[in-house]
Amino acid sequence: MSKEAILRSSGLCVGYHQPVLADVNLAFGRGQFIALLGPNGAGKTTLLRTLSRHLKPLAGQIEILGQDLHAMSALDLARAVAVCLTDNAKPPLLSVAEFVALGRYPHTDFMGRLSPHDAEVVSRSLAAVAAGDLAARLVEELSDGERQKVVLARALAQEPKLMLLDEPTAHLDLKHRIEVMGILRNLCRDSGLTVVASLHDIDIAAKVADRVVLVQHGGISDFGLPEAVLTSDKVGQLYGLDRADFDGHLGGIEFHGDGHAGKVFVIAGGGSGATLFRLLSKKGLAIETGVLADGDLDRYVAAALGANCFVRSAAAPAVAGLAIDGALAALGGCDLVVDGGLPGSDAQALRQRSKAHGLPIFRLAGAAAIDEGDAHCCATLGELSAAIDRALPSAAQYARR
Amino acid sequence: MHAQAIHSSLSTPLSRRALVFALLSLLVALMMILNLRIGSISYPVDQLLGALVNPFKKSDISYIVWNIRLPRTIAAALGGAFLAVSGLLLQVYFRNPIVGPFILGISSGSTVMVSLVMLTSIGLGFSGYAPYLNTLASCLGAYGVTALIVVIAIRVRNGVTLLIAGLMMGYLCGAVTSILTALAEKETIKGFVLWQMGSFSGFKWIEVWIMFVVGGLLLGATYLMSKPLNALLLGEDYAASMGVDIRRFRLLILFLSSSLAGLVTAMAGPVAFIGMAVPHMTRLSLGTSDNRVLLPGACLLGALITSLCDLIARMWLTPVELPLSAITAFFGAPIVIYLLLKRGMK
Repeated sequence: MSKEAILRSSGLCVGYHQPVLADVNLAFGRGQFIALLGPNGAGKTTLLRTLSRHLKPLAGQIEILGQDLHAMSALDLARAVAVCLTDNAKPPLLSVAEFVALGRYPHTDFMGRLSPHDAEVVSRSLAAVAAGDLAARLVEELSDGERQKVVLARALAQEPKLMLLDEPTAHLDLKHRIEVMGILRNLCRDSGLTVVASLHDIDIAAKVADRVVLVQHGGISDFGLPEAVLTSDKVGQLYGLDRADFDGHLGGIEFHGDGHAGKVFVIAGGGSGATLFRLLSKKGLAIETGVLADGDLDRYVAAALGANCFVRSAAAPAVAGLAIDGALAALGGCDLVVDGGLPGSDAQALRQRSKAHGLPIFRLAGAAAIDEGDAHCCATLGELSAAIDRALPSAAQYARR
Repeated sequence: MHAQAIHSSLSTPLSRRALVFALLSLLVALMMILNLRIGSISYPVDQLLGALVNPFKKSDISYIVWNIRLPRTIAAALGGAFLAVSGLLLQVYFRNPIVGPFILGISSGSTVMVSLVMLTSIGLGFSGYAPYLNTLASCLGAYGVTALIVVIAIRVRNGVTLLIAGLMMGYLCGAVTSILTALAEKETIKGFVLWQMGSFSGFKWIEVWIMFVVGGLLLGATYLMSKPLNALLLGEDYAASMGVDIRRFRLLILFLSSSLAGLVTAMAGPVAFIGMAVPHMTRLSLGTSDNRVLLPGACLLGALITSLCDLIARMWLTPVELPLSAITAFFGAPIVIYLLLKRGMK
């Protein structure tokens, strides 16, 4: 990635009449994929419209390739920057090839005649979005996913250095969402295009973007590597999440259960608990779990779900005993136990304590439990789910709400 | 698709388009000849040609052809072409296939201003300049209504609401016109009422020349804007992002469209639906939205349809001449209803 910034803003203040975002200082490098993240109405679109010169900044400077944005001619700007907007017209009786060829506007002559080179670029642009087979179709007849790819191809036909996209994946199904993001990422890697896109899928953004810009509270609250910026706290605060949590390690959102249906202890570890946690959380059960090792996948999922975890830290073996003591104590306050089937002394101690308390124990048949005991053994997750439903008195579920 | 295939599909006119253009040109020529030939007295083609090549021969046929039928025929063809292009520009600008200068009330705006000139004493003392004064007034009226419609369109994004706004504009202008008519002197009313129903009859050569020169310039300017017009198919924001100076261009489109509509209205009165229906028919017959193709196509088809309507208006219940707008409405109104239904079903 070259050090020269494709786009640089300093002291930028954007908005229609009132400032929406103030003191925006950004620098985007060549070949970077930049994701703008933030809640609806935070100002992502306003920022994009200002960067594309559709909107005048209230204050501050924008430089594109070292030139002042507002000093550039309309055509020079069009050769450097292409946009994809949310409002995409469906002109009647226009073929996909004609539609994409409109992107050649800043390169063609006064009457817009296309040279063989222009046709070559149109063809290449369609190929880059895997839409070469759509060329002869009419734009009005395309599906949403196909049209979005064609809209990308039109922007590419401008041969820009920078592409600004407003929610390029809105209204698309998962397949097309991933396809469009993949196309954009490849364009960054292979052609050195810089892509700036406002996105709603924070989990996809975390996995694709080279930089993320967090837009909130009238400014840019953070800008940097997604791996560094997208922490659980920052994401929770960005979207005002109180019933869900983002986990940076998992790169995904988990929903908190509200615990209205009771409390469950999950004897987990080594990844045995991850799917169980989600299942139980959706039933409205508050989760206690342990004893988990420090870097255990179960630990991240449990934390993102808002569960109470008892963790044995490898860095501090002296306090390891505290974890199992805590877990055993917590067990007493639970309504039921779900056994992930982990071997080991901690798990064994928890099983024995559960039995001693007379708590109902559920486990999957495949799970290699040491002690078959009197656990409710279920063959599938479906059966396990049904068994727990039967065990949870529905009256109690609502009474505790 | 291969680059070569894309290039050929994008740059060479399809044979279908060439065929449609040839056919339209032929039909326009035939229709004009028909308009010259047929009337209360019909002439065989050889006599007609004789009169046409011999303008100064003192004979009935020469007089009728040169002073009555030829100006009218040319005016109808030009008027149709201008209205069609005016409508096409509005349809591209508003990204709405159901708009036209008549539907949006632009022709009515012209009517008000012309009625001011024709019915009051404002034009007094300038009677020698009547065609110029009418044209000027008509264009000013058109600009006024267009400006209002644009202001409304910025606030409402819904295409159907825009139509209603246009209709209301038409009613308002109609109200002003009828008040002016009520207050006007009886002698002036008759000519005005005839003009107001829309007709290409009684065209003088000076009026034909004004239409030809002014309208020709406007058409030429419009054609030179085909490229940004095509960019506008994607909407203003995209057009701006591709290098169109959108503020200047917006004014230019509206100026050209209103001027063309105003010009025709000044001479022939408000003619309904040609500006809305013809661009739509052109798109369908040429199978494209490319304005480089549509603009000449709309000119030819506008000339053809308007000439045909004029012929029907003259000849259907001869010797009574029917108002042109009544005939054009038979073509246009069903198309509006069809487009509304199609839109509603989507």
